Amino acid sequence: MTNIDRSITVTKITRTFGDYTALNGVSLRVESGSIFGFLGPNGAGKSTLIKILATILASTGGSATVGGLDVATKSTEVRQRIGVALQDVGLDPVMRARELLVLQGRLYRLSTKEAKLRSEELLKTVGLADVDAKRKVGDFSGGMKRRLDLALALVHKPDILFLDEPTTGLDPVSRVQIWEEVRRLNRELGMTIFLTTQYLEEADRLADHVAIINDGMIVAEGTPTELKASIGQEVVTFAFSTPDMAAKALVLLQPLVTKVKTSGHEVLCYLNQAAQNLPQLLRVLDAAKLTITNVTIAQPTLDDVFLQATGARLNIDPTKEARSTKKS
Amino acid sequence: MTDIILLTVRTLKYYLRNPAETIPGIAISVFFLLVYNAGLSGVSNLPGFHGSYLAFILPVAIISAAINGAGLAGQSLVRDIQTGYYTKLLLSPARRLAIIWGAMIAGATVLLVEVFLILGLALLMGLKSQTGLAGYGMIILLTFIWGMAFSGFSVFVALKTKSANTTQASTFVFFPLIFLSSTFVPKEYITSHWLKIAATYNPTTYAFDAMRSLLIDGWQAKPLVLGFGILLAFATVTGVLSLIQAQRSTRLG
Repeated sequence: MTNIDRSITVTKITRTFGDYTALNGVSLRVESGSIFGFLGPNGAGKSTLIKILATILASTGGSATVGGLDVATKSTEVRQRIGVALQDVGLDPVMRARELLVLQGRLYRLSTKEAKLRSEELLKTVGLADVDAKRKVGDFSGGMKRRLDLALALVHKPDILFLDEPTTGLDPVSRVQIWEEVRRLNRELGMTIFLTTQYLEEADRLADHVAIINDGMIVAEGTPTELKASIGQEVVTFAFSTPDMAAKALVLLQPLVTKVKTSGHEVLCYLNQAAQNLPQLLRVLDAAKLTITNVTIAQPTLDDVFLQATGARLNIDPTKEARSTKKS
Repeated sequence: MTDIILLTVRTLKYYLRNPAETIPGIAISVFFLLVYNAGLSGVSNLPGFHGSYLAFILPVAIISAAINGAGLAGQSLVRDIQTGYYTKLLLSPARRLAIIWGAMIAGATVLLVEVFLILGLALLMGLKSQTGLAGYGMIILLTFIWGMAFSGFSVFVALKTKSANTTQASTFVFFPLIFLSSTFVPKEYITSHWLKIAATYNPTTYAFDAMRSLLIDGWQAKPLVLGFGILLAFATVTGVLSLIQAQRSTRLG
């Protein structure tokens, strides 16, 4: 298990669609047996990179290897070793779950007997074993479809698993189930997992290593702890009723903290010993008659890393956000 | 090879579960056979017309079944493209062309089943052939080539447009192909000049001629050579077009 190369190397990958540059010289390395979180907003280029690594899209520049194999020249071999669950599930709605799994197994060169055994095993794993065998996949709920799609990606016990926004649009319970399954696959089978997400929490909780992509470029990379440590200090966030007030507060707070920036009607101050220094900051703002609507003190999060790197907040609430249809 | 069989079986299962996709094709063919035979069989009493009208109209019913069966190939591909299953297949190590051939072979199988049904019905209606069993074999072979030609066309449209509506709409070439030909009366009897020209350039005319010669006149070299030659050429053109398009659509975008 340890001798197999399960790494991913991406070297200066570029992909353009006409005038639009989806990926602009992306380089990264995913170690064998790790969970890699590829974090970025919609349209940042996450799905484009997954499609290139999964051999269904060509890059317009650069190179990449998956499990030590070049994705451009060894595509068939790469396909045999990877499992892929794309953001849009690819299920034939008139087939049954077992049929799909057995066919998938056969296409990955399992014998009929192996494929049947494997599909029963997987249906249990993803919690679909008790579903009426005659039920068409088209009648499944969104969460069930997603779990079946994940099972299809696992049919041949791939060395490397690509998950494109595996929990987007799922309810919190299903999200946690998918997280647990991802951890189990990684821990028990040593599978390398490359997952894209727009959720900071997901990257933070699952990934050993995170890269943040924005507008087709990697803007930050490291372990979640490293990335947060790069922010260094604690973050005090003041919310004001108007962006105007936030702008005035920025000027006042600048001399008192290490770093300060605004985001809409909020002001973020980075400083040491935030709790001890807070009263002083409040006095200054109060003297200027700026109405504070909210104050929080927090350890830096990946969102702060993202804000630091891009100047904008990622700010996606998974519980409120509807499934996005925009290509990313 | 295994991939082709797996994907063909999958598509055939779909047709078995959704008879609504194949029944209209058979119904139209049976309609041709029953209604036109009943309504137009008097034509065979015209001077110069020889043989039964049943034998004359049978090729129209067969070719119409073939067009419907073959059109299914493109439609099942579009269905897969739209459900995303096509992408799932592309992600798998399945042979790229097996993904397309699976759909084409399944369509061809439906086509053959339909042709056997139509032939069986004609035999029940009292069809007599001058060339016997071998002649029927030839007719089935001609139909198969014709079907492959049309299936190539439908796959080409499906992969090119990726649109169910356009692929469905493209089957409307069925009408000019079937009707701008020596459909109801022999070509000599067509009085309209433009229709005669259209019939001359329509490959279907040569399929009709070859089949009719087998049923009515016995073994004749000229209509058979023309029939097989033109249909093979037609099938080659659409086959090459669909292969180029297939390679283009499965190659990395």
